[in-house]
Amino acid sequence: MEWSLSKADETIPLTDVDSAVDEHLKRNLVMTNLEDMLAWGRKHSIWPFNFGLSCCYVEMATALTSRYDASRFGAEVIRGTPRQADMIVISGTCFLKMAPVVQRLYEQLLEPKWVISMGSCANSGGMYDIYSVVQGVDKFLPVDVYVPGCPPRPDAFLQGLMMLQDQVGKERRPLSWTIGEQTVIKPDKNSQRDRLMESRMQATDLREPDSV
Amino acid sequence: MSAAAVPTVDADIETALLEAFPGSSFVFQATIDQIPTYWISRSDSKEILAFLKNKYEMLFDLSAIDERMRTHREGQPASDFTVIYHLMSLTHRRDIRLKIALAEADLNVASIHQVYPNANWYEREVWDMFGVTFTGHPNLFRILLPPTWEGHALRKDHPARATEMPPFRMDDARQDTEQEALRFKPEQWGMKRKHGKTEFMFLNLGPNHPSVHGVFRIVLQLDGELIVDAVPEIGYHHRGAEKMAERQTWHSYIPYTDRIDYVGGVMNNLPYVMGVEKMAGITVPDRAKVIRIMMAELFRISSHLVFYGTFAQDVGQMSPVFYMFSDRERLFRIVEAITGGRMHPAWFRIGGVAQDLPNGWEAMIKDFIDWMPARLDDYEKMSMQNSILKQRTQGIGAYNSAEALDWGVTGPNLRATGFDYDMRRDRPYGGYDQFDFEVPVFQNGDCYDRAQVRVAEIRESLRIIEQCLHNMPAGPYKADHPLTTPPPKERTMYDIETMIHHFLNVSWGPVIPAGECTMTIEATKGLNAYSLVSDGGTNSYRTRIRTPSFPHLQQIPLISNGLMIADLIAIIASIDFVMADVDR
Repeated sequence: MEWSLSKADETIPLTDVDSAVDEHLKRNLVMTNLEDMLAWGRKHSIWPFNFGLSCCYVEMATALTSRYDASRFGAEVIRGTPRQADMIVISGTCFLKMAPVVQRLYEQLLEPKWVISMGSCANSGGMYDIYSVVQGVDKFLPVDVYVPGCPPRPDAFLQGLMMLQDQVGKERRPLSWTIGEQTVIKPDKNSQRDRLMESRMQATDLREPDSV
Repeated sequence: MSAAAVPTVDADIETALLEAFPGSSFVFQATIDQIPTYWISRSDSKEILAFLKNKYEMLFDLSAIDERMRTHREGQPASDFTVIYHLMSLTHRRDIRLKIALAEADLNVASIHQVYPNANWYEREVWDMFGVTFTGHPNLFRILLPPTWEGHALRKDHPARATEMPPFRMDDARQDTEQEALRFKPEQWGMKRKHGKTEFMFLNLGPNHPSVHGVFRIVLQLDGELIVDAVPEIGYHHRGAEKMAERQTWHSYIPYTDRIDYVGGVMNNLPYVMGVEKMAGITVPDRAKVIRIMMAELFRISSHLVFYGTFAQDVGQMSPVFYMFSDRERLFRIVEAITGGRMHPAWFRIGGVAQDLPNGWEAMIKDFIDWMPARLDDYEKMSMQNSILKQRTQGIGAYNSAEALDWGVTGPNLRATGFDYDMRRDRPYGGYDQFDFEVPVFQNGDCYDRAQVRVAEIRESLRIIEQCLHNMPAGPYKADHPLTTPPPKERTMYDIETMIHHFLNVSWGPVIPAGECTMTIEATKGLNAYSLVSDGGTNSYRTRIRTPSFPHLQQIPLISNGLMIADLIAIIASIDFVMADVDR
């Protein structure tokens, strides 16, 4: 779509008829295939499940409030029941006593469903290598995005959410149980560390913490 | 530490005990915190505790120590497992500690839940963690670990790490067994399924429910929508913080304390580092004290703001939480500028704080204390004066001071019942005696008053922070003492002795002299205490964390029975707990 700014007293030359039609079509017509369209729809309407385990949940909740505002990404419809949600954020430590509950809640989420593992505890057990903690939620759930931090800042959670959206947009799922292949094709997960290593190594001057 | 921080000791207590129990023996043990500590005999422990209840109205803490590996026990009676009762009198401002020695072959002691009702959960915890049986206890089941657990986690021979245990697997069979084990069986709790023509319904609220603030489960016995009885179930958030202390150095345990009351930030560091400093004999410089108080009060405001917003939300107001959280962000900007972290800065150090305040901190603090009062006025109109909020919380979930003390309720939840007690004013620690502030007290003990106390406390905390701003002493931010962490480095390049000490204190961590010490503070949610036992090593022999939220949850059935489910939600919101502060 083309935009131009003009002053109020300027006379605007009339566009010729052909380009006006083109412009009208451009604005109102999208050419795509059904798969892409569905993926686009899924990407922008992720409904998270209202679920939290510990400290990280407070930062996740902060991401929903005004300063961070997760609704900018179409993901603010927090659902109280797993049956209406399609994404679970494992925000916090996955306790042994809680694991069967987490497992059941995951099973109750409707397909298609995604999992974000938020914070070091959920990623790997983090600083809690202790008898009552499962060493990473991926021991029993398939995780789509890992967000590092203890707890991650709300912005980091939002980045994780956007990365998940990106994945969801690229994912290809069968349109129906009667049409085509029945497999789900997920894009490769890439490590941010590997991707950003080079640019991060460029940073040599770090800000001194001595003044605000 | 100021002179007033030393507990008032009841000098006559020993005579009184000997008079009342002439046949019994009382062995005195000197401790670093100067709390009178007596080893009593198991046979009449219940009678002694009942006798002491008139003098010490609250069972502050009940825990145990596995003594089997301990080397420094000079002057203490032989014991494999020691059960410890910490009693506290808030009116007389004094404590007493009683210990009972138990042999490994005979781990039995009388339950005191009839004397101090809040002993119920504490005894279950000691049973769960140490395997000590409390005879006469009505439901001595596991409380923190899953019902299928084998062994007792705080025993020295129980593995600490998950990686020392078989790898975790979750197959269908395990899922079924675990789920079945979590099923609530009313008969186990002596509950009837029907009464006359009424058939009760059992509703499982949690462990994941939007209004239970974390992983907390409460099973309700319902007659229609009326709550007949309630059974709170905890342990879904047990992170083994006490066991963790036994393998971390004194220094590297500080980050774990942050995560106990996870909205309380550095407030959690305070009792721990103050306890270690007392054992090490470190005097903290004034600047460090004032910095600590300022940061702790900032986090008190942060915690109360989270409470304020979620409280309003739980009783049906959707928007306040957005305002309170935006102020919390404003506050976190200061915390981030000073400490570099947000929720868990782990910024206090043994002997002081991690670094000096950054240039320009004054302006940030000033902006914040100028900004907040007007916002609090808005919130007052928006939430506290809202008629629906009032109807849902006034007269709901009320208890009186006597009940509160019986159940170990402290902090704002106690002050809401008209009991005027604040540790910061009444037994000042860490420099609070130098500050001028009021202790807000409200009379009704209901949900509304519990919120009012906290709202008023935000303003008092602002006053304290303002005094910190105007009276920040100059000087070092950390004590000059070899046991501080990280240790002083300036002289290490000049003589080999300091070099060696520095190397050892950094790589192994400081060696804290053997002894026992309890340090209590007025945390965001009530009295929080760390009881540390050093065996003269680089890590703690036993760390006991007494948290305020644990007894607060135990008291829920008492105040919710007979009310509606919606009232229970208001009660839960008004108690202000976080599950990490309950299960640790």
